[in-house]
Amino acid sequence: MIEVKNVNKSFGDQHVLKDVSAFFEPGKINMIIGRSGSGKTVLLKSIIGLVKPETGDIFFNEREFIRANIKFKREIRKEIGMVFQGGALFTSQTVEDNIMFPLNLFTNLTKKEKLNRVNFCLDRVNIQNANKQFPSEISGGMQKRVAIARAIALNPKYLFCDEPNSGLDPQTAIMIDQLIHNITVEYNMTTIVNTHDMNSVMEIADSIIFIYEGHKWWQGGREDIFNSENDELNDFVFASELCKKIKKTNP
Amino acid sequence: MKLLSVIGQYLVLMSAVFTKPVRARIFIKRVFEEIEQIGMDSIWIVSIVSVFMGAVLTLQVAINFTSPVIPQYLIGLSARDTFILEFSSTIICLILAGKVGSNIASEIGTMRITEQIDALEIMGVNSANYLILPKITAALISFPILNLLSIILGIFGGYLIATATDVVSIYDYIYGLNYMFVPFYVTYSLIKICVFSIIITSVSSFHGYYTFGGALEVGKSSTKAVVYSIILVLLFNLILTQLLLT
Repeated sequence: MIEVKNVNKSFGDQHVLKDVSAFFEPGKINMIIGRSGSGKTVLLKSIIGLVKPETGDIFFNEREFIRANIKFKREIRKEIGMVFQGGALFTSQTVEDNIMFPLNLFTNLTKKEKLNRVNFCLDRVNIQNANKQFPSEISGGMQKRVAIARAIALNPKYLFCDEPNSGLDPQTAIMIDQLIHNITVEYNMTTIVNTHDMNSVMEIADSIIFIYEGHKWWQGGREDIFNSENDELNDFVFASELCKKIKKTNP
Repeated sequence: MKLLSVIGQYLVLMSAVFTKPVRARIFIKRVFEEIEQIGMDSIWIVSIVSVFMGAVLTLQVAINFTSPVIPQYLIGLSARDTFILEFSSTIICLILAGKVGSNIASEIGTMRITEQIDALEIMGVNSANYLILPKITAALISFPILNLLSIILGIFGGYLIATATDVVSIYDYIYGLNYMFVPFYVTYSLIKICVFSIIITSVSSFHGYYTFGGALEVGKSSTKAVVYSIILVLLFNLILTQLLLT
């Protein structure tokens, strides 16, 4: 469970996050949606501590995070798995070494146990026979799946995904969505996904937060989106003429 | 004001760098990897430059020592002292600032813009310590070895030119090498190169670590790393010479 309370963040004169509060439940896919530049990435980075908000509080299972000292933050971060937009795999390391990296640093497992864990994680994301390949030698979809495998290597309590489907074809995107959903339910993780891909939202979202110009503009479930009277949300969700026509013909 | 801010930022980064590594075994492994990249891969450039400069320096000194009152053995002495006091520490470090410094800044800068450093932080790793401390340690181990190698090869370059030409006799050259040798000069040279190794690796890492933007900014960071490393090496060369030799 993650709780965000009255978070504000500015960059110079630009007030990017304006008094944002939210609650993210475990075992559910919590999605943050919004237009590019709306502040959703800053919100995600604020939650994981890569950006420091000026005011507000963030709690990981009632443990205060923003004002915690760096040692305590690192302890909490060991419970976090993160899938970055570009994968952020270590390019100088093989797929196997990438996934083994957190195991080498934070566990006392034997080499064989670590290898078993790596193979389990790779199997979990449907990747076989790629252990010795480098990130540059595998496809974008595989890189995302390896990033997910690395993120779950230490059995995290919290999973963060920053636009996990960007740059992927629709079929691979659905596969990644399903993977995130299954892992979240299986391990009862608190998962927060940052996206502007409405297919993903319709596919797996349990709870949705719509960020508009730095404000939390709307919150609801998957079904609520279609019935919402919120103009800004409707403009975002039904952005194309085709979607607007569909909405008009199916009120 | 901006300079103070940059110095402050550098000191904050260094305070994160000089902490205890999470796993000693991983740290040692990383140090050996960096020794290969920073030290071993620099042997060829240091060797080529030293041999040729030793040969050229000997030739030039011999050509300019035309007066019969100047003893010929001073050619060997000047080659020795030039290499020990200045060339193998300062000039070699200026070359290494270009080779190693740009490499470090672009490597860490690329890791920054591709979010690999963020990924390390999210895993609970002290990224500054993990990435930078092995580089500084590796440079502290390998630069003094490169320094000694450069001294030996530079003097050997002079010996080769003395053998190949008749600008100075081998006897005079070797006599000059042994004449009034001050062992402290080697210590002075090693102290300088240790300080320079920390400057080059830490300044380059600093510029790489605080790269923001894209490929263009990585290039800019790399250039800045080389320029500021060179300026600081020259500045500290002056300070250390004043402190240690006067």
